[in-house]
Amino acid sequence: MSVINSLVPARFLTLTAHLVIVITIFWSRDNNVRACLPLDFTEDQYRNEDNRLVIGLSVTLGLFALELLGFFSGVSMFNTNQGLLSVAAHCSASVSLSFFIFEQWECWYYWVIFSLCSVVPAVGELVQMFAVLCLKKKAM
Amino acid sequence: MAFYEVYSHPALIRYKTNVCTRATLFVLMVFCLTYIPPLLVAYKSQGFWLKRSTYEEQPVVQFQYQMLMIGATGTAGEFVAWSTFPDFNRLLGSNLRIPAVSVKEEDSNQDGKSDRLRLQLSVPLKAEEQIYSIQLLLTFSYQLFRMSTVVMQSMAFIQHSSSVPGSQLFINGDLRLHQQIPLPHRGLHAAYNVSVVETGSPFATSYDLASIIRAYQARNLTTYLSCPTPVWIIGRAVNAPFQINAEVRYPLETISYRPGFWEMIKFAWIQYVSVLLVFLWLFNHIQTFVFQNQVLPTVPKPLLKTHTQ
Repeated sequence: MSVINSLVPARFLTLTAHLVIVITIFWSRDNNVRACLPLDFTEDQYRNEDNRLVIGLSVTLGLFALELLGFFSGVSMFNTNQGLLSVAAHCSASVSLSFFIFEQWECWYYWVIFSLCSVVPAVGELVQMFAVLCLKKKAM
Repeated sequence: MAFYEVYSHPALIRYKTNVCTRATLFVLMVFCLTYIPPLLVAYKSQGFWLKRSTYEEQPVVQFQYQMLMIGATGTAGEFVAWSTFPDFNRLLGSNLRIPAVSVKEEDSNQDGKSDRLRLQLSVPLKAEEQIYSIQLLLTFSYQLFRMSTVVMQSMAFIQHSSSVPGSQLFINGDLRLHQQIPLPHRGLHAAYNVSVVETGSPFATSYDLASIIRAYQARNLTTYLSCPTPVWIIGRAVNAPFQINAEVRYPLETISYRPGFWEMIKFAWIQYVSVLLVFLWLFNHIQTFVFQNQVLPTVPKPLLKTHTQ
């Protein structure tokens, strides 16, 4: 039981850190969009890339909502597998996205981070929710 | 009575599990997260592979005693000249003036390598002749030994002109090496061990300064005289010769080279391992937490041997 006492706060903290960084990228995405365009770009190209990044960020927020729903409703709060996966994924995402902002990485890096660190825990969350709600497994 | 801790050593707890378990997956993931990010961090922070480095060496320079001197004596293209190439002198006709030459190479710190060249040329002139410009070409043999062995023939070209006729030209400078590309770290580099001026050819084009300099500057390794300003001294006495005093120093050179395989690997390894230590420490703590608290189920081997009955 003691391990859960440390795993649950760790999961909450990393989730929040990742969420905060995603919201920060929403506000500061101009530099990153410019980094993936050639030196002389048109307004259309800029808007295209900007839209793509906004879509990515919005989907990330959607997946966050899903995961937070599962976490706060208690469906996966005490599951060590999901907890470990979530901590690892969101911790890596926080570190990578900080680099994404500071080093002004190009846009395609965001899709890599998104697929590895947002999709995977969200899928795990879905599986866990399915198992508890439909297959009536215990939420432990 | 136990006062103080005299010695301690860690006791190992082994955690065993099957191949297809979550614990194995976790350990694989931790392995990837431990050994790959240090490489990324070290590479992305620039300078992972050492592509160019420098070393210092004083070259072995020897004056080759081949010179070419041209002095302009008027505005209508009159000149006097002299060289150590008999073919060139033959082409000059009456413009040839043979100077008195005094050359001295000094090794001031007695290390076997010359440090300075003192050259004096006294060009005899007719009473009505005045010198307005001087072009002087000196040839050297230049050798480096520390990393790759470089043997080449090089030159220093000095040119000065003035609108007033002069009596003396005083040049004081260093013979510096100019590299277009870094040198290799080993091997013999004797491609430029050919004379700067093509001797043995009776044609005048081989003594044309522009073509000599064009061919010389096409090299990847050249020397030049780094001379801030030559001193043009005016007021020549009527029957006095024109003096050229040149002092050329052979300084310690900083030479850039491309490091070899092992030097590159050494520096890359130092960078990788120093970041790896941080990741190893961090993930060791995480793994200890996970396995000690049985976050993922494994079978720990007990510390004390259980007695079987």
